[in-house]
Amino acid sequence: MLTAQELVWLLAAVANGDRAAFERLYAATRAKLYGVTLRILRRRDLADEVMQETYLKIWNSAGQFDPALSSPITWMVAIARNRAIDLVRKKTEVSIEEDAAVLEVAADTPDPLAAREMTEELRRLLACMGRLDEERRRLVLFAYYDGWSREQLAARFGKPVNTIKTWLRRALIEIRECLGS
Amino acid sequence: MTDDADTPETLAAEYVLGTLAADERAHAEALLASDPAFARLVGDWERRLGELHAMVAPVEPPPETWARIAARIDGVAPRPPMRLPHPEVPARAAESNVVDLTRRLGRWRQAAAGLAAIAAVLLAVVVTAAFDPQMLPGPLRPRPIEIVRAVTREVNPGRFVAVLQANATAPAFILTVDIASRTATVRRVAAEPQAGKSYELWLISDRFAAPRSLGLVGGAEFARPTLASYDPTTISGATYAVSLEPEGGSPTGTPTGPVLFTAKLVDAVPPGP
Repeated sequence: MLTAQELVWLLAAVANGDRAAFERLYAATRAKLYGVTLRILRRRDLADEVMQETYLKIWNSAGQFDPALSSPITWMVAIARNRAIDLVRKKTEVSIEEDAAVLEVAADTPDPLAAREMTEELRRLLACMGRLDEERRRLVLFAYYDGWSREQLAARFGKPVNTIKTWLRRALIEIRECLGS
Repeated sequence: MTDDADTPETLAAEYVLGTLAADERAHAEALLASDPAFARLVGDWERRLGELHAMVAPVEPPPETWARIAARIDGVAPRPPMRLPHPEVPARAAESNVVDLTRRLGRWRQAAAGLAAIAAVLLAVVVTAAFDPQMLPGPLRPRPIEIVRAVTREVNPGRFVAVLQANATAPAFILTVDIASRTATVRRVAAEPQAGKSYELWLISDRFAAPRSLGLVGGAEFARPTLASYDPTTISGATYAVSLEPEGGSPTGTPTGPVLFTAKLVDAVPPGP
């Protein structure tokens, strides 16, 4: 992975129509974005579809990226996640039970390799997540990593949807207050 | 936000987390495109939660994925984030043209209201003969960390001008490139010197792994970086950028500070000898 500063420069070049820069940007970010989308969609054909849409959007919108507001990879991941979640909401046939046991472990355990490269923002966020009630923390992590809806979370956690909604919102408030504005 | 109320804040938070149903997401996305205040809320939540992706293990996509993406973008130029409705400006740019451009930008802004994430950009054509201080309103400091682009046009054979601009009223720098003599002139207009900082000009080309420094600009009103070590194709195809660096320039030889402006000589055609 290139540094954030290098990615900013690549995005600036992409915004000016630099095709070679776009290919380098793809090479530097494809595995992260594919990992994120595949985890949500769990089907390679769907993840491939979202990858195409995501990078087309990046090609068309690189000029809208603002390094004052987010890091390049976070901006790109947000595009990919939103596409993936939009798709998964429309594809009810994607089973929520598949791989659930494996994902449960993964969602609760930070990848130790990534942990060494944690940014200060991530450390703060994880510290705040660590202060959440365990069940709510798992709820937030399942939602973020696996793209589960309130209904899917309700089924997984064996709670009414309204309870899940309240828990999610309380957890988000706690995170916001812990991080400060 | 309160626990159970459906407010813009809860909608933004759950949109970013990803727990909304399809119809709620569609509603959020419509708001995102039309309501800058909502877009800011979403941006705040992206900033709070966005780093979580760091713990997702990378997975290599199959090679066909790139082939499909490449096929879909080839021949499709990226959409410039901002383009004035009528970029043609008479060659004799004068004070009245600046006013006209400002007014056009105002119209454009109305048309683009809601696209809050887009930084200000001006598409402008200026001739070198028009470097008249009278045409420029009072200096305005460019906001740091704002990427701004200006698309340039050929004004004389082999001669190109880019206006690097951070707001509707005042160009920050005007970059003139003469391909034949491989020289450039950077005139500081409204970019104010910043204490303890220097502006540095860079040439970015896919021929080089990293941006190449063209030296400091903005210390004096005019800077004349040389492009002698680059061939005309590189000069005409490159992206030019200004970053804000520690005083005296980047200590590392590559940009370390925020990128303030970028511009590309899109219409450049290398002149005959």
